[in-house]
Amino acid sequence: MQRMMQNPKRFFRQRWEAFSQTPFYCLLRLFFGRMFHGHADSDAGDLDLGIGVIVVLLAMPGMLVSLLMFEKYGSLIRFLRGAGPYDPFSATIPDEYFFLVLSMAVSGAAALWRWDSIFLDRRDFTNLVPQPIRLRSIFLASLSAIFALVALLTIVVNAASMVLYPLAVVGSQPSLSLLLRFAMGHAVVMLLAGAFGSLAVFAVAGVLMTLFPAAAFRRVSLLVRFTLALLLLVLLGTSWAVPDWLKQLSVANAHRVAVLPPVSFLGLLRTVWGRGGEPFVAAMTKAGATALGAAFFTTILAYAVSFRRSFVRIPETPDAGPLPRIPASFSPLAPLREAVLRTPSQRACYHFVARTLLRSDGHLQVLSGFLALGLVASAATLNSAPTLHSLVHGSSPPAEFLSVPFILVYCVSVGIRFAFEIPSQLPANWIFRFWLDRERHEARPIARRVLLLLSLSWLAPVCFLATLAFWGWIVALRHTAILILCTVALVEVFLVKFRKIPFTCPYPSFKSYSGLIVVAYLFGYVFFTYYLPQMENWSLSGPWGILWFAPLLGIVLSAIHFYRKQMLDMDKELVFEDVSASGFE
Amino acid sequence: MLEARGLSKFYGSVLAVRDISFSLHPGHVLGYLGPNGSGKSTTVKMLTGLLEPSDGQVVFDGQDIHKNLIAYRKRLGYVPEEANLYSYLTGQEYLDMVATLRAMPKRHKNRTISSLLQLFSLWPHRHVTMGSYSKGMRQRILLIAALMDNPDVLVLDEPLSGLDVTTVLVIKNLIQTLSARGKSVFYCSHILEVVEKVCSHLIILRKGQVIAQGTTDEVREHMGKSSLEGVFLHLVEDRDVVQMTQDIVSVVSP
Repeated sequence: MQRMMQNPKRFFRQRWEAFSQTPFYCLLRLFFGRMFHGHADSDAGDLDLGIGVIVVLLAMPGMLVSLLMFEKYGSLIRFLRGAGPYDPFSATIPDEYFFLVLSMAVSGAAALWRWDSIFLDRRDFTNLVPQPIRLRSIFLASLSAIFALVALLTIVVNAASMVLYPLAVVGSQPSLSLLLRFAMGHAVVMLLAGAFGSLAVFAVAGVLMTLFPAAAFRRVSLLVRFTLALLLLVLLGTSWAVPDWLKQLSVANAHRVAVLPPVSFLGLLRTVWGRGGEPFVAAMTKAGATALGAAFFTTILAYAVSFRRSFVRIPETPDAGPLPRIPASFSPLAPLREAVLRTPSQRACYHFVARTLLRSDGHLQVLSGFLALGLVASAATLNSAPTLHSLVHGSSPPAEFLSVPFILVYCVSVGIRFAFEIPSQLPANWIFRFWLDRERHEARPIARRVLLLLSLSWLAPVCFLATLAFWGWIVALRHTAILILCTVALVEVFLVKFRKIPFTCPYPSFKSYSGLIVVAYLFGYVFFTYYLPQMENWSLSGPWGILWFAPLLGIVLSAIHFYRKQMLDMDKELVFEDVSASGFE
Repeated sequence: MLEARGLSKFYGSVLAVRDISFSLHPGHVLGYLGPNGSGKSTTVKMLTGLLEPSDGQVVFDGQDIHKNLIAYRKRLGYVPEEANLYSYLTGQEYLDMVATLRAMPKRHKNRTISSLLQLFSLWPHRHVTMGSYSKGMRQRILLIAALMDNPDVLVLDEPLSGLDVTTVLVIKNLIQTLSARGKSVFYCSHILEVVEKVCSHLIILRKGQVIAQGTTDEVREHMGKSSLEGVFLHLVEDRDVVQMTQDIVSVVSP
């Protein structure tokens, strides 16, 4: 104590140096690092971004939304709009709900992303257990790393909104105590909401790990992650509807939205602000605190049990490796594949690409993410119809109904196209370098077939049957034909400069116009999923309207054909390095 | 002295090894041979305390290793069969971590790591992440990690995998030098020539059971074979190697 008082800096430095040499700190640092740098299979194509980039990516949504709030609450803008004074604790309920949803969704998504890295694996066992340290130390360090990650995620996700948002809302008001009260309440509850988002995901992972054997866990893991991603997107989607419901709520029908965690945390926020007098708010506060406590203790308990069940028993279980496959004696797609894959190299490369896409966890995660996005966007589009009845009745399908397969095709195709750029086991690409002729390669035909087969093979029949059920044969055939033609054109646009065997090249480097490419994809989404269904809706009203699509698609395909024709031969050669002019076009 | 006393291990209802007993004295190099699936790795895991035997015990200096596993592991150096390392750590960071976990004094730790990195030709690559290391470089990292705390017992599972000729010669000499200094070495391998050259004693395993045991010369003489390869084929292989070769050729070149 005396030494600390005499020279506190030196005292703490010495303490820190001593602590940094302990096995616990060493393990904590290792486990924290592995959560950012991937698990044992990270060499197999996991996207390794590093802590700095991850922090920036996580902080961006909160910062952008907070900046937008200056426009909404800025005193000058309010004055120009003729808006008078307002109570920040009541007027901000919709925004606070949105921030709560954002905090939970982004923290939860980040936890989902690192799902595979939170549990100790065979590599940890091989490297750590033979060392003279107790299993208890490994467990405690690992659990501490999880909580450190949760803390970091929640702070990073909410950092910008904790500073900027209170300034935007009450910065112009003269009372400092009001600003501090508002800011403190916002910060505390946003952090708790973020922690809940991450902990809930970790708790689900821990419970699954506890309930299932390792092999079964790996099988259900992707499905569960897909479902959780979908739920997080749905949660994000509630931020447009729920604040309106909240205004009309009474205690009697509060249970309708009580299942939504952000509503509970909104109650918590009202209580922290000293506005928790209403019975509904009190009930929500209690529900929020209970949910947070349950997530915290379930995480600890599930992790402890799964550590005991899975990690300690690793030497007794064979290395799972890739999931074992059940050899399919019959595949409904086999005749179709045989018909469209004409050459031996097309067949070989197609099977490699399709199997990598569907078996590699990293690639499947990307594809599932885009599919989840497509499903949520489809649900939102259907929800935007005036009534449910109007969706399936009338002389022709409404644009909302027609746009659903377009949204799904676009999202799945972009997902697959994006996944093509993620390398998989690069040292193994020598087989393609060795066998394929760089000048007479078939990279584009292979990618085209994969994109078309993996999107249309299931979407076209579903689209046809759904349309048939409500509007009969003619409309179903027309709608499906238009969908197929538009998808073919879309795939040609996506592959305009494509000259790689998917997964065999390193990540494309960042180009000065990469941002423009992203914007082009966003515009493409709007055109493909909004304007094309509108056009189709118009074309279906007459018997010959569908013919208008022929010249449109003809122009697109001809333009692509002539563009490719004028390309230099060297720009068409097969590549295994990132030397293409445009990378991920 | 390290002893295995009647070791048996079941994985569920599957018997991996049955009633294995041997002693590894200071200064001895015990070669452990057997075909794939014969129970070598299971024995290694039990010897290192990673796996508890279903029956029997591993005894070190008269005490069951599971009674004080930490103290035992402090005196054990282990090179696992696969170099499954943290690809995002540099070689130096990994060794530093292992040394910290082994509670090596800081100054001694730094000096030893630096010297061994230089001697194993990894000094120029010490700040490169291990993801870009070759198989041989990873193997050398594992050897340094096993050796740096001056262990009394070394358990080496295929330690020469992926190493270049010079390093193989160094390791072979190193094993003999360490045994001459009183270290016990348990050497598990498929490479018969190396086992024959460096091991003073030998155990041959088949389907989880010991089928030959003794000094290398004793085993050879007992079987009436001039080389270890002959002994191994005689004891372990059911298949006629020449016939198998002809069958392969007839398939690829009918």
